[in-house]
Amino acid sequence: MNLPSIAAIAHQAAAAGLDIVPFAVPLFVLAIVLEMVWAARHAPGAYEPGDTLTSLLMGLGSTIAGGLVASAIVVAAGWLYAHRVATVPVVWWTWIAVFVVDDFNYYWFHRTAHRVRWFWASHVNHHSSQHYNLSTALRQTWTGFPALSFAWRIWPAFFGVAPGMLLTVGGINLVYQFWIHTEAVHRMPRWFEAVMNTPSHHRVHHGTNPRYLDRNYAGVLIVWDRLFKSFEPERDDDPVRYGIVHQLGTFALTTVAFHEWRAIGRDVWHAPLLAKLGYLVREPGWRHDGNHTTSAVIRERWRAAQPGGEPD
Amino acid sequence: MTPQPQAHAVEAHAHLGATIAALFARPDVGPWLMLAVQVTVSLILILALYWLARAMRLGGDVRIADAAHAAALAEATFPGFAAEEITVDRARIGALVRNRAGHVVLIRRHGARFVGRELTHHKGIRLDRHTLTLETGDPRFGPLTLDLGAEAQTWAASLRRLHGEMPDHVSGHAS
Repeated sequence: MNLPSIAAIAHQAAAAGLDIVPFAVPLFVLAIVLEMVWAARHAPGAYEPGDTLTSLLMGLGSTIAGGLVASAIVVAAGWLYAHRVATVPVVWWTWIAVFVVDDFNYYWFHRTAHRVRWFWASHVNHHSSQHYNLSTALRQTWTGFPALSFAWRIWPAFFGVAPGMLLTVGGINLVYQFWIHTEAVHRMPRWFEAVMNTPSHHRVHHGTNPRYLDRNYAGVLIVWDRLFKSFEPERDDDPVRYGIVHQLGTFALTTVAFHEWRAIGRDVWHAPLLAKLGYLVREPGWRHDGNHTTSAVIRERWRAAQPGGEPD
Repeated sequence: MTPQPQAHAVEAHAHLGATIAALFARPDVGPWLMLAVQVTVSLILILALYWLARAMRLGGDVRIADAAHAAALAEATFPGFAAEEITVDRARIGALVRNRAGHVVLIRRHGARFVGRELTHHKGIRLDRHTLTLETGDPRFGPLTLDLGAEAQTWAASLRRLHGEMPDHVSGHAS
């Protein structure tokens, strides 16, 4: 039997896209089982069955929603590629370059998903678990398409990157991020922590501690956070409390999926005419009456309450 | 003599297999059939993982350890909140925490974690001997009945002085 060469696979992936996520699903399941065994021995509170069920059902719903709209995203990327201004060749180093560009795009998509309420509404469900385990990684959005999240990742097609390459590296990025959703790994080697996103860095990202709010947006490479001044290291004297500032207090699936969209609807409805847009494009916690509870305000209040007014 | 029933069974299985293969091959049916199979298998795996988490007794039976724990939970809910008065439910499933400014935080258990809400209005507060039933106005939080023993009457009296705005919804908030 003749196996296809790596170059042939790479060209096929660039042409049609190689989505590695379905191949990774059995590994996801196995890793969750192993983490549960670890939790049973070392940290039973790391998992909560109701929370896990909700997270996994959110993951399934996200897959179904993604499958239903995939063709529209492919058409959009294909249209951009058809009108491209250049053509990026499919060689080994362009695969690396496209992966880095896509990770850069992910960083800005993710940062915007936390700083603009319209995008936050579709991303918040990934953060609404008060637990941080591998099932949390699969707690994904059902409403990414109407929030136009995909627009952040497909623009390189206009500059000649084959849509198949974007799909392939996007899948690799997603699979990488699975394993960093765990408390079972304390710290990786220093060189790894310096360059790559790790469980420690991403625990910070899921934290509600004022120190950790809206930090560490990276997907695979943590260097983007270091470069754009959004990096915060995890501290052993400030254990991460997971979830969102206003914890949901429910495992109800529809609430987890849609609560922020409903809240936006209510705020826009009740706001004065000139303030309505603010509830869509300003940061979560912004209010037209000035009574903000944004992450910056929360952090400032917390700093002011510290002895001496400034924490370490 | 040929065992005819067995031959019929083999033939029937072959026919069923051919029918399924034909359905998967049809462009108007195949993708949806594949999706249905994937969803079904995923659901089975999800329920298996849920069952495993329950069988391993993950999550456990968490309780508020003491007043200091309740104060820490209130501070985690509202950064900078400095607890002055604290009362904990006798089963330690919930607590009331007040700061110097008179703001009151109601804490309750949620799975293996805790959630808190500020109590801003006396509406919905009901005293029944040693138990106090409280509502925050947030339907997701729901009503909570605390067994506070002899402290129930004192807290009920003080909570009746709350006349703030009863939130009818939870607004946008930071991540």
